[in-house]
Amino acid sequence: MKRRDCLLALAGLAAAPWTAALATAPATLHVFGVPPAPERVRRVFAAGAPAAVLVHALAPDALLGWPWPLSAAARGLLAPAARGLPMLGRLAGRGSTLPLEKLVALKPDLIVDAGTVDAAYLSTAERVWRQTGIPYVLVDGRLADSARQLRETGRLLGVMARGEQLARYADTTLLACGPGAARPPRVYLARAADGLETPLPGSVNGECIEAACAVNVAREPGGGLARVSREQLLAWSPDAIVTQYPEFHALARQDAVWRRLPAVRDGRLFLAPSLPFGWLDGPPGINRLIGVRWLASRLHDAAPSSDWIERARDFHALFYGHVPTREELTRLPGLA
Amino acid sequence: MNVLEAHGLAMGYRHRAVGADIDLALGAGEVLCLLGPNGGGKTTLFRTLLGILPPLAGTVRVADRALADWSRQALATRLAYVPQSHAGLFAFSVEEVVLMGRTARLARFSTPSAHDRGVARDCLARLGVGHLAERVYTEISGGERQLALIARALAQEARILILDEPTASLDFGNQLRVLKEIDALKRQGLSILMSTHQPEHALRVADRIALLKAGRIVGQGPRALATADALADLYGADPADVARSLPQLAPA
Amino acid sequence: MILAGHSAALRVAALSAPVFAALLAAFAFGPYPLSPAETLAALWAGPSAVNDAATVVWQLRLPRIGAGFLVGAALAAAGAAYQGMFRNPLVSPDILGVSAGAGLGAALAIYFGLPLAAVQAIAFVGGLLAVAAVVFVAGRVRRHDPVLVLVLAGVAVGTLFSAGISLVKVLADPSVQLPSITFWLLGGLNAVAPADLWLAAPLIGAGLLPMLLLRWRVNLLSLSDEEAAALGVNVARLRGILIVSATLMTAAAVSITGIVGWIGLVVPHAARLLVGPEFSRLLPAALLLGGGFLVAADTLARSAAAIELPLGILTALVGAPVFLWLLARSGRGGA
Repeated sequence: MKRRDCLLALAGLAAAPWTAALATAPATLHVFGVPPAPERVRRVFAAGAPAAVLVHALAPDALLGWPWPLSAAARGLLAPAARGLPMLGRLAGRGSTLPLEKLVALKPDLIVDAGTVDAAYLSTAERVWRQTGIPYVLVDGRLADSARQLRETGRLLGVMARGEQLARYADTTLLACGPGAARPPRVYLARAADGLETPLPGSVNGECIEAACAVNVAREPGGGLARVSREQLLAWSPDAIVTQYPEFHALARQDAVWRRLPAVRDGRLFLAPSLPFGWLDGPPGINRLIGVRWLASRLHDAAPSSDWIERARDFHALFYGHVPTREELTRLPGLA
Repeated sequence: MNVLEAHGLAMGYRHRAVGADIDLALGAGEVLCLLGPNGGGKTTLFRTLLGILPPLAGTVRVADRALADWSRQALATRLAYVPQSHAGLFAFSVEEVVLMGRTARLARFSTPSAHDRGVARDCLARLGVGHLAERVYTEISGGERQLALIARALAQEARILILDEPTASLDFGNQLRVLKEIDALKRQGLSILMSTHQPEHALRVADRIALLKAGRIVGQGPRALATADALADLYGADPADVARSLPQLAPA
Repeated sequence: MILAGHSAALRVAALSAPVFAALLAAFAFGPYPLSPAETLAALWAGPSAVNDAATVVWQLRLPRIGAGFLVGAALAAAGAAYQGMFRNPLVSPDILGVSAGAGLGAALAIYFGLPLAAVQAIAFVGGLLAVAAVVFVAGRVRRHDPVLVLVLAGVAVGTLFSAGISLVKVLADPSVQLPSITFWLLGGLNAVAPADLWLAAPLIGAGLLPMLLLRWRVNLLSLSDEEAAALGVNVARLRGILIVSATLMTAAAVSITGIVGWIGLVVPHAARLLVGPEFSRLLPAALLLGGGFLVAADTLARSAAAIELPLGILTALVGAPVFLWLLARSGRGGA
């Protein structure tokens, strides 16, 4: 009897961190270790691309580096201080490109990761914390929770006011979709140079569609990415097609088969910028907030304004701490 | 006239010489039997005579022309090789196997014609196995396979045959059959160089014999060369044992 | 299962009827709802008609079925040639590393964000380079059986290029490039455009031509090198020509569809069971069966669900059990 109780207690203890994390719902931050006091956070390592964008927006001076190699074009649109940050690599369990020793050598106060939080990510985070002693924070990163992410991460990093400011932008962007007059528009999000790769509903890559009060035309179950054929697109006949790939955008406008789609014929094929961070995806982080506004405007406004340069400049100023010139923005595919 | 000759032949592989000082001559219409122990260099010798292995020194002449002057295809119309029968990997029909012998006579991009098929069947018939034409090569007996391979060589319409141990792993009946065919072929005017591990076979069919030991020809001449002493010396056996096993040997 | 000359040729001819029937039937399937009557009407109206049905039938289904047939035929023919040449019925066209080379080329091209046409071209070149490396290495080794050396060099080079592919996948951005690379490696016909056909068909034809011309002599390669040479064949040259042919065909096929396995391994077996190993009959049978099989698999890939099922997965799901069955069967009888 006693032994069984002991075993149960042990099992409960072992599972405690994760089950506690998953049980209290819906928590946004999962913390392993004891993070330093907010005002003492000086060096933050971002484990993945969405986390890097988040930290860069909230506390650009604390970010140690980028987890992926930013192109020169992307760097040119960032604040001068951020341009020179080195590429460090990402932390993703087996898929890491950064050795843990190098991580320790960087002496971060905190590791921040943003994205899907499941048992696998939680256990990876705990492992890294145990091995390196660096506190690890997982931020639940669905697009719909952006405001809360910004507020809570802002508090963690000692920049509450800034977090609040950005969160208000997110609040006004992610307004609840009212019942609306007509049915929501059916949108196809085209990825890859041939445009035949698409996120399925539920995938983190396609969240911008639901956030813009539209519906993903690919109605298959499953949550990842899938390949489709042009014949399938003809059968679906989406109301609008949106993409971040200029090559596909050019292809669709002159290919005979793509032009049969009403969306392409009637000019509802939209190209979104992907620099410095994608407006719709790539990375799937808070960089998408401007994209949601843009997409919503394109889809729902009776007479959408075609000049988004000013609004892009405002967004850049607010989130990225740097205002690019009109010329620089005009050169971006999608904003020209 | 010699149809196949080797003079001062040294044979072997790039880093290993197997034999040297080999003088061999096969006359027209005769059967020359090569005798010798395992590892003596018979396979290497055949490969060299066929032009598959380049000689390390010396010359080989086929039909009075240096081996190097023959193109592969032309050589195959004069000189045919019959290996030991093997199991075969793919299920070709016996007729198809024999048809492969016609390749040397085909133009570069052709496939066998009705005439070629006729020749193939004739060759099988000559050897008394015409009924096997439709059978699958991998499903017939070892002796039948050996006969099929001989038929393949005949289909090349070559006048010189090189047979590598044609009676190895055959039962007694099949051995007799093959030996009878070799006799018949000789009477049809073909010249045959064959190797065998059984001196009694050599004594039965050969006009001349050659003794190959450790890469050297230690004797070449008429059948009478095969005395008990000579064979004992060749195979490293006791002459008395040899004489007892082969009573038909010429006296020493 | 072996029949002499005539009736086997008849079997080859008889094979073409069901295969072409399957090709026609493939026109009736697809996510766009078209009744068989509408499909026939669109086929009859010709490619210049301007309506959705015509677009679906002429611009989408026709190139796709055509490409599927071409690729399936090419892979099966290459497999049939290699199985004879390597004297092993368990060999596939990938044995010399052409798929790994093409995969690495495509992965690199996708990683660097190059346009589609460049991805295909680099995949094609990658496949050729891999085999060139194998042949070069094998040519330097003179001690052993040349066929064995080719196989071992192919395994080594193929593994090397596969490691390269894995490296590119690790370095790729998980949300942008990695899915594209993965999908490419799994194979699919959904992005095939008529332009791809115009490029791949001549290359595949150029590869097939030597095989067709030399179809009788290929039979002799299944004998030992000595026997083949004694029968009048220049073995090294014939092998070289076949490798060039098969590589050209496979690289062209892989560059437009990605890596589709098992066809080159299993279809020649099935063809051999039907018409025997003699190459002048085996080749047309393999071409027909391979093309038909891939078209059938692709029809399933594009109609079973709204999303595309990767072709390589379907061929593996069918091919692997068939292969195991053939393996068990060959243990008891002849190949």
